[in-house]
Amino acid sequence: MCGIAGIVRADAAALVAEPQLRRMAAALRHRGPDGWGMARAAGAGLVSTRLAIFDLPGGWQPMRGERGTLLVYNGEVYNHLELRGRLVGPFATTSDTEVVHRLLEHDGLAALDRLNGQFAFAWWEPAQRRLTLVRDRFGVRPLHWAALPDGGIAFASEAKALFASGEAAAAPDLAGIDEVFTTWGARAPRTAFAGVAQLPPGGLLVWEDGEVVARRTWWAPDYETDGAAPAAEELSELLADAVRLRLRADVPVGTYLSGGLDSSLITALAQQASDHELRTFSVAFHDARYDERAFQQQVAAALGTRHHVVEIGPHEIADGFRAVVAHAETPLIRTAPVPLYLLAQATRAHGITVVATGEGADELFWGYDLFKETALRELHTREPARAEALLDELYPYLDVPAERRGPAWKRFFFEAGAPVDPLFSHQPRIAATGIVRAFYRPELAQALDGINGEDPLARLRAELPLAFARWSPLERAAYLELTTLLAPNLLSSQGDRVAMAHGVEGRFPFLDHRVFAHAAALPPERKLAPGLREKAELRALAERLLPRAVVERPKQPYRAPAVTPFFGAHAPAWVEERLEARALDEVGLFEPARVEGLLRRCRTGKASGFREGMALVGILSTQVWHECFCGTGAADRWPVERAEPRVRLEAAEGITSQ
Amino acid sequence: MGETEVGTLRAELRAYIEEAFLYLHPDVELHDADEFLELGVIDSLGFVELVEEVQTRYGIAVDALEITEENFGSLDALVAFVERRRPS
Repeated sequence: MCGIAGIVRADAAALVAEPQLRRMAAALRHRGPDGWGMARAAGAGLVSTRLAIFDLPGGWQPMRGERGTLLVYNGEVYNHLELRGRLVGPFATTSDTEVVHRLLEHDGLAALDRLNGQFAFAWWEPAQRRLTLVRDRFGVRPLHWAALPDGGIAFASEAKALFASGEAAAAPDLAGIDEVFTTWGARAPRTAFAGVAQLPPGGLLVWEDGEVVARRTWWAPDYETDGAAPAAEELSELLADAVRLRLRADVPVGTYLSGGLDSSLITALAQQASDHELRTFSVAFHDARYDERAFQQQVAAALGTRHHVVEIGPHEIADGFRAVVAHAETPLIRTAPVPLYLLAQATRAHGITVVATGEGADELFWGYDLFKETALRELHTREPARAEALLDELYPYLDVPAERRGPAWKRFFFEAGAPVDPLFSHQPRIAATGIVRAFYRPELAQALDGINGEDPLARLRAELPLAFARWSPLERAAYLELTTLLAPNLLSSQGDRVAMAHGVEGRFPFLDHRVFAHAAALPPERKLAPGLREKAELRALAERLLPRAVVERPKQPYRAPAVTPFFGAHAPAWVEERLEARALDEVGLFEPARVEGLLRRCRTGKASGFREGMALVGILSTQVWHECFCGTGAADRWPVERAEPRVRLEAAEGITSQ
Repeated sequence: MGETEVGTLRAELRAYIEEAFLYLHPDVELHDADEFLELGVIDSLGFVELVEEVQTRYGIAVDALEITEENFGSLDALVAFVERRRPS
């Protein structure tokens, strides 16, 4: 796991300056704290910062291949041993990077289909002056790029390295920010920054001698299968194999254990496959409404893991918030990434740099309440009384106790869109999130109206795949969850960014593409079973491996407090400072009078609902994000990497290892 | 219910509407007969919060069929509804 970055120029004679590359490396040092490397060729410069996981003494990057091409690579291909066995040696390293590089040099992009893993890489072919950028299927690893005025291109794992290079300037992209406040994240190629794009999950981009010649996806989710339902035993074997592959590392691997079904199942399978004492890491909250420690302890005790807990009290969310925004590089609408940032910090402090987690199971096996809601709302069009009775059993998005969920709530749900709408499943969430946009200044709202064709929902509808219309309502919901929530938010702000902030790599067995194919081929009732029992297939597997209480507990959404951490005697002074009228005027996105109204409710404890929590976190994170990247002096704060590179490749020279 | 009580009720409900919803619409001057939907000051989820508030604050069990603009659509409507339905 690493950070990668680079610049290629349209002019082949133009040199990429070493200080630029050193600043890019410094901006990505947290992703690769073990050392860095650089390569400079005619009109091109590449850097890598490395978190050493495979082949600790070797495996440094940039790597030069047999045919003279250069590779910088972030991530892991877990089936590299199997792939290596089919290639002709000798190999200079035992790393997966070299296997991927060899495959690329021999088979080109056709090799991608054989890679099982989570990766983003940049491949430079000097003879053709061709740069190829590739991102993994689900978008686990990030990859950003910016077109340069001279026709060149700059790329980096995180946008901050583009800014550090001086090739791109940080400025808000209004439409990108509007997407965050519509579907919870800016969807590729959009980002929150103007002029900075990100590769879509399963996407690739080819730049050749001064222009982008190809932008396409090499993999996309598909729910149309050949019709045969997978055998019952298949999931057990597949998931065990996905976990086994993801325990591969030359360093110890741990797991994140939330206490829910998915991470508990991964932990159980990891414990079975692990040759050392498994470490588990959990977030616990002082506030009982968010806390799952009882279940975490049950699983850890039943499986015999060495368990570690990070306690989240009243101070931690606010204390970690600004750092999380800086790592996420986007406005947020929830504080949930902060505990995971602190969890990664603790994991690293215990000497663990790789963790397997349960991420992805809810999207593949229909675990979220959103799937039940969609089923109920669809049922309501045919059998309203039955649907309304069933809704009482659901936990809704609004943070209100069960006894206060009344008839108005039902009405909102059942009137939030019609099944013919492609975005039917997500309309309640979109409606709830819309509160943040109500705080826009009138001029921002007008500017967004004037950005032709950039309405977030219109863009989403326009970019749905052709097959979408043929999928069932729940398959559509799953596709929208993968593309609007998982990649832009959960795997990013709440995943890669907060873990890599501390040089910790998350691994996601459920996001093995074979597991996805299996889940997609399952009949609906083996995912959302009759009686709205979620993740039926997983539950059946878990019954053999986990305590009954954990298997039978209903899904609890992972959440963290939104308003209380930022107000009261313990609140840090920067919160009110960032939200005062002068600071809001500087950023120019939110209306001070409206924000002041929200603050009055927050200070007096009246803003207790989910929506106002989203509004506060959205506004506050935007203010923090702007100060961090676009504020006065932000562009001058990027340091230069002073350490000597472990690899330095110069055109027409050999590798110099130090 | 006496006139004073109705006046208190009206003041309470107005204070709640202003505090919970009107801060997002600083330019709107709400009159008692103004319709919330027409003015755009309360959206569909806002109505959920409004109905919940009425239930909790006044101990009224609101029936689904009662969630209408006639009962919740304006300050006048709200006052009349609460006056009629709250336990005496």
